[in-house]
Amino acid sequence: MSENFKPVTLNFGPQHPAAHGVLRLLVQLEGEVVNKAEPHIGLLHRGTEKLIEQKTYTQAIPYFDRLDYVSPMCQEHAFALAVENLLNIEAPKRAQYIRVMFAEVTRILNHLLNIPAFAMDIGAATPMLWAFEEREKMLEFHEAVSGARFHAAYFRPGGVHQDLPENLLEKMKKYFTNFPKFIDTLEELLTENRIFKQRSVDIGILKKDDAIRLSCSGPVLRASGIAWDLRKSQPYDVYDDLDFNIPVGKTGDTYDRYLVRMEEMRESVKIILQCIENIPEGPVMVENNKITPPKRSEMKNSMEAIIHHFKLFTEGYRVPEGITYKSVEAPKGEFGVVLVSDGSSKPYRCKLRAPGFVHLQALHFLSKGHQLADVPSILGSLDIVFGEVDR
Amino acid sequence: MSPNILQKYSTGNFHFPIKSGIDNILVNKDSILEVTQKIKEDEDLLYNQLVDITVTDNMLSKSSYSNERFTLIYSFLSLKFNKRLFIFTNISEDNLDINSITQIFEPADWFERECYDLFGINFVNHPNLQRIMNDYNFQGHPLRKDFPLTGYEEVRYDENLKKVVYEPVTLKQEFRDFDNESPWEGMKETIKEELEKK
Repeated sequence: MSENFKPVTLNFGPQHPAAHGVLRLLVQLEGEVVNKAEPHIGLLHRGTEKLIEQKTYTQAIPYFDRLDYVSPMCQEHAFALAVENLLNIEAPKRAQYIRVMFAEVTRILNHLLNIPAFAMDIGAATPMLWAFEEREKMLEFHEAVSGARFHAAYFRPGGVHQDLPENLLEKMKKYFTNFPKFIDTLEELLTENRIFKQRSVDIGILKKDDAIRLSCSGPVLRASGIAWDLRKSQPYDVYDDLDFNIPVGKTGDTYDRYLVRMEEMRESVKIILQCIENIPEGPVMVENNKITPPKRSEMKNSMEAIIHHFKLFTEGYRVPEGITYKSVEAPKGEFGVVLVSDGSSKPYRCKLRAPGFVHLQALHFLSKGHQLADVPSILGSLDIVFGEVDR
Repeated sequence: MSPNILQKYSTGNFHFPIKSGIDNILVNKDSILEVTQKIKEDEDLLYNQLVDITVTDNMLSKSSYSNERFTLIYSFLSLKFNKRLFIFTNISEDNLDINSITQIFEPADWFERECYDLFGINFVNHPNLQRIMNDYNFQGHPLRKDFPLTGYEEVRYDENLKKVVYEPVTLKQEFRDFDNESPWEGMKETIKEELEKK
């Protein structure tokens, strides 16, 4: 390179299709090589944490769907667990099974968006179309239980909002027994694809130590060869009783992160099928009308039920004072909620710990010394969604 | 992994119920660098991941867990021992300075920027203490309890001026903040009774 060469600073985004949302990335280039990548975030900041402070615990749930909007139910899960922890209650077994089952459906949905989007960034258009067809079928299950495809507000503190509709389990069983075949076809398209491999193997290598140092979690951490999964190491709900494996990568490059997500989908299918097999009968909500609303039919002839209903949807329930931290293995990594209650019916402080926020911070480290064209590949493999990064 | 090891770094107890069985210590804000360094290197602790840094503004809190305005909550995770740790630090309104721990835990960078942006905590020796969530020219710290939910300024694109303009917030209707909390302790007591029955 000539000596009078000056580094160029490039503004990548905020409206760039490969940025997976509104990311403004200042890239300092020396020729084609990235010297420095500085993400500027906050373009999608909605002040969720401030809004939650103004709402009762029940009203806060829908905000969680809108964080990482491609895996809504997993985030409700973290909030439900945190509130249950403060209230010192436990959801009934059937509710726990339903939650785990739908958390896994959500995980597959998330990976089915991330993998083809990542593939599209580096040149493969077909997987996107194929995956979206399957996603649509799975979103029907979301719709069947909650009435909404994405913003479900289905997991509530104390259980889930409603019991499963009739025949849903059979439909799900039928669908998910066949689903691994779709994963195979997707793999046929990508795993040994020459172009795909050229663009992803040995790109953005994250070694074990670096992954720990940079606080990575979820598939990013596992792709670096660390068998760490909150579903196994700090199990919540019924993950304890289920049999599944944790896929682990070797080199920690973008290709490994893709492989880990592929394998995770197969494990999720295993979990879902086990849940369908073992799900017990029983209530799906804690049967305590001081916390959970009474049944509609009950309200027709019980004065007490009407009072309960009125109080729950105006004042809400009061949560004993305390601080808690509950985290779940969301599809993108560790999603946690730091919940502070001062004894009133509104959360005093609710901090949302988003995995994407931490992973995006590692972008500079990962892309330094790579070519500019590799940045979308790294970005895609980190699985960034701006709803949760900016909150 | 006994709590005794942790106690030697602690300067007192945090008088607030901490659920979910996470170890916790309260430290003086001047010793935060020292303590984080130690818990990272101590062979019996090895808290090698920084999970989160967050702040609570205690201004309106009904419970009296802290006499100071802000409480910083650091949370750590030890991948080896599968343990979590909370470190609490109190910060007074008059002196918002605290040492940045970015030299010890790199991901603290953005977490601290966020605490600065939303609460105005000033991290000394931070490499790049800028706003992260809010606009570049934003005024104030929105997650403080004395910051109104609606904010002070609103932004729109002006078709005539061909640029983005900032204006004071005008609400189409008065901001309504209903206080539905009943003056009776009924709910609270019943939940307690339920819990005692268990």
